[in-house]
Amino acid sequence: MMALLAQVAAFLAALWAAPHLGALWHALFPALARPTWDSQSWFTLLGEHLLLSLGAALIAAAIGLGAGIFATRGAGRALRPLLDAVFALAQAIPPVAVIALALPLLGFGAAPTLLALVLYAALPVMRSAVAGLDAVPPAVLDAARGTGMGRAGILARVELPLALPVIQAGLRVAVVLSIATTAVGAVAGASCLGTPIVVGLANGNTAWVLQGALFTAWLALIADRALRLGLRHGARG
Amino acid sequence: MIRFEGVTRRYGDRAVVDRVTLDVPDGSICVLLGESGSGKSTLMRMVNRLVEPSAGRVLVNGRDVTATDPETLRRGIGYVIQSVGLFPHWRVAENVATVPRLLGWEAARIATRVDELLALVGLEPGRFRDRFPHELSGGQAQRVGLARALAADPPLLLMDEPFSALDPGTRRGLQAELRTIHAETGKTILFVTHDVEEALALADTVAVLEEGRLAARGRPAELLERGTGAPVRRLFGEESLAFHRLATLPASTIARPEDAAGDLPILPAEASLKQALMLMLSEGSDRLAVPPTGEFPGGTLYWADLVRPA
Repeated sequence: MMALLAQVAAFLAALWAAPHLGALWHALFPALARPTWDSQSWFTLLGEHLLLSLGAALIAAAIGLGAGIFATRGAGRALRPLLDAVFALAQAIPPVAVIALALPLLGFGAAPTLLALVLYAALPVMRSAVAGLDAVPPAVLDAARGTGMGRAGILARVELPLALPVIQAGLRVAVVLSIATTAVGAVAGASCLGTPIVVGLANGNTAWVLQGALFTAWLALIADRALRLGLRHGARG
Repeated sequence: MIRFEGVTRRYGDRAVVDRVTLDVPDGSICVLLGESGSGKSTLMRMVNRLVEPSAGRVLVNGRDVTATDPETLRRGIGYVIQSVGLFPHWRVAENVATVPRLLGWEAARIATRVDELLALVGLEPGRFRDRFPHELSGGQAQRVGLARALAADPPLLLMDEPFSALDPGTRRGLQAELRTIHAETGKTILFVTHDVEEALALADTVAVLEEGRLAARGRPAELLERGTGAPVRRLFGEESLAFHRLATLPASTIARPEDAAGDLPILPAEASLKQALMLMLSEGSDRLAVPPTGEFPGGTLYWADLVRPA
């Protein structure tokens, strides 16, 4: 827990310090005239990045969970292979390709990025929901029905709580994937930590690319660590 | 009372339960006995509508079960299964309280009831109330399963091989306790098993199922009378039929009304002839003293008399 807090603090300090380290960037990239990224605040970029990636993860979670529940009961069971194939296909398309394909329809900005992230992150949630719900012992379900619980009651009070640890693992993967992938949204003009990377590439400014890549990767690592910790905590409580 | 009227359940072309007609009187234990695949569980599961009949109907207290919606029906019928099926994420108390909670009882009433039931099934409430199912032995878990089934005081209990997965000692202990609980509560119990000794130990009436059909039914003693049909002989084993028959006959009926000599081994009057035989074998004695109890004036049991009814 302390290690995580220390990392978050280091990350925020680095975001704050980056624009003030002109001397360092000049020393590292002597050929560049403006090696320091200062066109937008790093904190603004971070906020937009998180909003986009967590929003996408939330939508992906809702869709994945819904599909997982549907695929484990009644009529949905027959559609399970189809659903799985559709979600797998959606993830197989690289997010950058989704963005490129969606641009003509959705225009520039956050919308195509959101779509790409949702398609990318829904599969792990769906698979984990199916695996978790499948693992509920048949005897427990038989007993639940036999004691007179309704379908909704069995789902809410027995199946989902028992599947929760597995579903949480899927959610964690979805959130981390989403945070780590959001940077590609910058190619569609979505403002995020990927923006300095894309702008840097366009202008041949490797210092901006380095700074953007550094903070994007660092954020993904912190998110992974925080979710692991948070979920372990939640499972115990 | 449960009444099965020409009940059939087909899966595809196969009739798993085939035109079964059977009455289970109020307050009795009826054991559905048969090998696996004989349709006994399916027949039982039609009482609480976990399976719906393809033909015929099931009546509980004169009312067709399909007239009540399944959830309401099930909340009024206790249900115990072999694999227990305790909810692993709930403590013992919450498991026992499943049906009362569904029925919307108040917390205080539920707490009182839970403790009462744990005591009834032989688990000290203070020690077991807050445990999780994984902290229980097989026998303890099934006691909790039984408490859960009894929670809302249903007049009817369905038990699907509840003791089959337990080791023999635990199983016999729970069988004896079930008889005691039955005597105290007067529940109507439909009990499914493939274990003939268990059937004889528990049943007021036994219904033998073979390939979905009701092959024989009656009190244990009737069922095992000489000249009983092939299904019963097959199920109980041709060579041990006589031995099982002894288990259905009380020792007091053939004891001679003479005062026992002082040094004979003592057999309680309510013991079966099988227990009498076991005692004779273990004591190496061909006579047993049966002391007076209630109506029975006391007497002596002779080996020669014992081998005759067998």
